Amino acid sequence: MDVSKLITRQVFWNLVGKGFPVAQVVVYIIALVVIGLFFWSLSRSGFFTRFKMWRLATGTDVARLDKPWSRFWYAVADVFAHRKILREPYQGIFHFFIFWGFFILLIGTAIVALQSDIVEPIWHVWFWQGDFYLWYSVVTDIGGAIAIIGALMALARRYFFRPKWLDNRPEDIYILWFIVAVLVTGFLVEGLRMQATEVQPGNLMHPYVWYSPVGRLFAYMFAGMGIPAIKVTHKALWWTHMALAMLFIVYIAWSKLLHMFVTPVNIFLRNRTGQPHLKLIPPEAFETAETFGVHNVEEYSWKDLFDSEACMRCGRCVEVCPAFNTDKPLAPRDVIQDIREYLEKKAKFAIDPTSGQARIIPDEEYEGPALIGDTIEKDTIWACTTCMACVEACPAYIEQFPKLIDLRRYLVMMEADFPSEVQEVFKGMENNSNPWSIGAHTRADWAKGLDVPLMSEKGQAEYLFFVGCAGAFDDRNKKVATALVKLFNAAGLDYAILGTEEGCCGDSAKRIGNEYLYQALAQANIETFKAYNVKKIITMCPHGYNILKNEYSELGGDYEVYHYIQILNDLIKSGKIELKKPVEGLGTITYHDSCYIGRYNKVYDEPRDVIRSLNSGSLVEMKSNREKSLCCGAGGGRMWMEETLGTRINQKRTQEAIDAGAKTICTLCPFCLTMLSDGIKELEKDEEMQAFDISELVLKAAGIE
Amino acid sequence: MNTVVCMKQVPDTETLIKINPEGTGIVTEGIKWVMCPYDEYAVEEALQQKEKFKAGKVTIVSLGPDRAIEAIRTGLAMGADTAVHINDAAFYEKADPYATAAALAAAVKDLEYDAIFCGKQAIDDDSGQVPAILGELLGLPVVTLVVKLEVSEDKTKAVATREVEGGHAVVEVSLPAIFSAQKGLNEPRYASLPGIMKAKKKPVDVKTVSDLGVSVEPMTAIKEMSLPPARQAGKILEGEDAVEKAKALAKALHEEAKLI
Ligand SMILES: Cc1cc2nc3c(=O)[nH]c(=O)nc-3n(C[C@H](O)[C@H](O)[C@H](O)COP(=O)(O)OP(=O)(O)OC[C@H]3O[C@@H](n4cnc5c(N)ncnc54)[C@H](O)[C@@H]3O)c2cc1C
Ligand code: SF4
Ligand code: SF4
Repeated sequence: MDVSKLITRQVFWNLVGKGFPVAQVVVYIIALVVIGLFFWSLSRSGFFTRFKMWRLATGTDVARLDKPWSRFWYAVADVFAHRKILREPYQGIFHFFIFWGFFILLIGTAIVALQSDIVEPIWHVWFWQGDFYLWYSVVTDIGGAIAIIGALMALARRYFFRPKWLDNRPEDIYILWFIVAVLVTGFLVEGLRMQATEVQPGNLMHPYVWYSPVGRLFAYMFAGMGIPAIKVTHKALWWTHMALAMLFIVYIAWSKLLHMFVTPVNIFLRNRTGQPHLKLIPPEAFETAETFGVHNVEEYSWKDLFDSEACMRCGRCVEVCPAFNTDKPLAPRDVIQDIREYLEKKAKFAIDPTSGQARIIPDEEYEGPALIGDTIEKDTIWACTTCMACVEACPAYIEQFPKLIDLRRYLVMMEADFPSEVQEVFKGMENNSNPWSIGAHTRADWAKGLDVPLMSEKGQAEYLFFVGCAGAFDDRNKKVATALVKLFNAAGLDYAILGTEEGCCGDSAKRIGNEYLYQALAQANIETFKAYNVKKIITMCPHGYNILKNEYSELGGDYEVYHYIQILNDLIKSGKIELKKPVEGLGTITYHDSCYIGRYNKVYDEPRDVIRSLNSGSLVEMKSNREKSLCCGAGGGRMWMEETLGTRINQKRTQEAIDAGAKTICTLCPFCLTMLSDGIKELEKDEEMQAFDISELVLKAAGIE
Repeated sequence: MNTVVCMKQVPDTETLIKINPEGTGIVTEGIKWVMCPYDEYAVEEALQQKEKFKAGKVTIVSLGPDRAIEAIRTGLAMGADTAVHINDAAFYEKADPYATAAALAAAVKDLEYDAIFCGKQAIDDDSGQVPAILGELLGLPVVTLVVKLEVSEDKTKAVATREVEGGHAVVEVSLPAIFSAQKGLNEPRYASLPGIMKAKKKPVDVKTVSDLGVSVEPMTAIKEMSLPPARQAGKILEGEDAVEKAKALAKALHEEAKLI
């Protein structure tokens, strides 16, 4: 077909003439070789070795393949719209640029191949022309340009900004320069071609030169060159560009670039429950299983191990980790990467070199480095507050910290190896069903004289008010429980407490890794709830809220669970609680999102609404808020452990409140209240600042004595 | 090294104690029972000695009713190998330190041991006599309030550090001997889950006092037991100023408290 009269261009200009298209065939041969090299590289770079190791995994997991279409579309939307990636503006935008730039170029190349190697030879049709061609030309040029801009932004971050949560490995820089080189040689080739053709007045395409804006700009560089020189240079650079592009494809298999394939798969496999998954240990297992938790890497689930493949070390999880940010030896990314590297070490023992077969090697036979200690240090394992910031931040939907809980479970249940302070806590929970080790018979003492209905006397109530250990035993938090029952009474809520029949919810035990103790505590509560036919529960503590709402169901307890803030918000909105007068002396207020109410259960607005309805001072946000809120430092059982490494998390959080100009810190979690009150004292701000539970302020504003 | 640990199940320190209607003891229903904390040191020490010598057997001996098995299982879960449960509720109810020691002595007699570990006191009735009477009955030396213990390689003697008023005394003693454990001797371990599971299958030799051929009668009996008087609520004195309040205070001290 003669295309010389159309608005289009010649494919393989300057490379194929009349006669047999040698270059075209060579490119296809190279492409085939590159595909072969790509798979060969996957085997050499350890991917297949790790694949064999994933298949050894024995750990249980949540469903990962249910609702495949919904998963598929979710992944497509996430990948193409960059929903999670764009949460961080700078790195979000440069990734968006590189991704979309390359995606456009990929589609562009595919269109050319389709035109010149399929449609034209078979049907003798040339669709790559006219308006379509012009659109194509503009879009692909812009695609290449934004990809270069993206890569340069990324390089600037690697060379100049260098945030401390970003680990800089040589490959990170190579990849970016590689991208720049591929794209710039592409534009040089385009510029040379244009200089020799379209730029020349009289060329049929001359009026349309600016439809290749970047190529046109590059062409200026060659304005002084003669056509023969351009042709020679063009040919040389064309092959250079081709070689770079092909090498780049092979390099994908060797580098973190592989994430372009693996991460979308990981998004497809995401945990749809929205709750970071802690493996279920069925109660019967305590009688039969030989080992609990994870100390051999194969005891993780295949998905745990696959996660380590999907991590491209972006560092977003590190950026938000309270442990990392207070100089503790924990960076969630490194936990994931350590697991990945360890897989290869373990593979040397697990995979028979001659047969290539993988098997689980018994502990007695294994002489390599251990997972706990040699690979992931105990201090790392204990530093985590289970704040979920890492999980929330990860664009690859990796669940980082649950992998640490698996290790804790092994240490606690199999080795009884945990920070020594915790022993008293476990004993307190075992003997008195509370971590403070205070006599269980005093659990309802706080309610004396407050006119609080007891389930055992009332028999039935619409709501069970599950006070929790802090509200029952901790002096500061008893005041919060008191404020709540006064408000409930004033609003005429039909509720009752369990009094001494209530037990510890087990959250701390579970997250410290003592699943055995947790299940005993949870079972006891579930029995009691059953006896009173409990359907709806209000909790005072976000930890109880989360575990009753989301985790008791695994043990057969299903309830409609509310945190008190949801109830108070409704009671205020419906006028059952009337806020009569502003609370004096609060000044500027800030709200601290508790991890277990915010990230875990996505309750962000109700507390803010209630604080605003107090009309007692303006509400300001701290630097980290909502999804990115900084933990107070008490979650994951850290409440009960000494914080000896690095600086103190509660002080860091209190400092954020100070920096925001707040005089009052509001919270709705007994642990947060304790940690932030301590933070204020430790930073010697107790003259100017104070911490309150929101319910206490509601009580004051409602004018209830 | 073979050891015996005398272990008593006692009410948890935080549990609510009520005196029975006869006023001769406590109400034993509805309270949380645990291993006596000092006996935890004793169990731990026995386990550490066994681990150090990489050989031997730790046997727990306990006198108590059915419920005592829970504390025995705790000890087995920590790592003790076997146990003798002198299950005799009637005897236990009346047992004074002498009767207790006599029953324990009878049970220990047939066991092989290089040392017997006790707690320095049972935190319920606080008599502190059992280790000493046991030593008397078995003809063994007794070292009380031990905070550090080193056993010689050949297991014939031991050097024990005792806590004495305001300081420490180092005592040498030939083995076998009885040691009563004081806080500071060690950090008792938390039972691992496999420990707890294995403990369920470990052998417990259940005996009555008559099986052991013990026919002693207690030498003392509790006549009366009472709780410390409940603390009176505080009183806030009213008054216009400091002088008024001071006057009210002096009056109250004189007339109500009769202190001045
Ligand atoms: C001179 C003197 C001064 C004192 N000064 C003070 C003081 O200043 N402050 C203070 O608080 N106290 C003081 N005390 C009290 C003293 O500390 C305690 O009374 C004593 O140490 C504890 O005795 P006990 O009755 O609990 O021990 P026992 O009941 O004799 O128990 C000791 C150990 O015997 C074993 N045993 C007992 N019963 C059983 C059983 N049924 N089965 C298996 N094993 C068993 C256990 O190993 C137990 O730990 C003093 C005592 C004396 C004699
Ligand atoms: S849960 Fe929080 S503390 Fe733990 S690793 Fe993740 S970000 Fe760090
Ligand atoms: S775990 Fe997720 S957030 Fe963390 S570095 Fe890897 S990909 Fe990034």
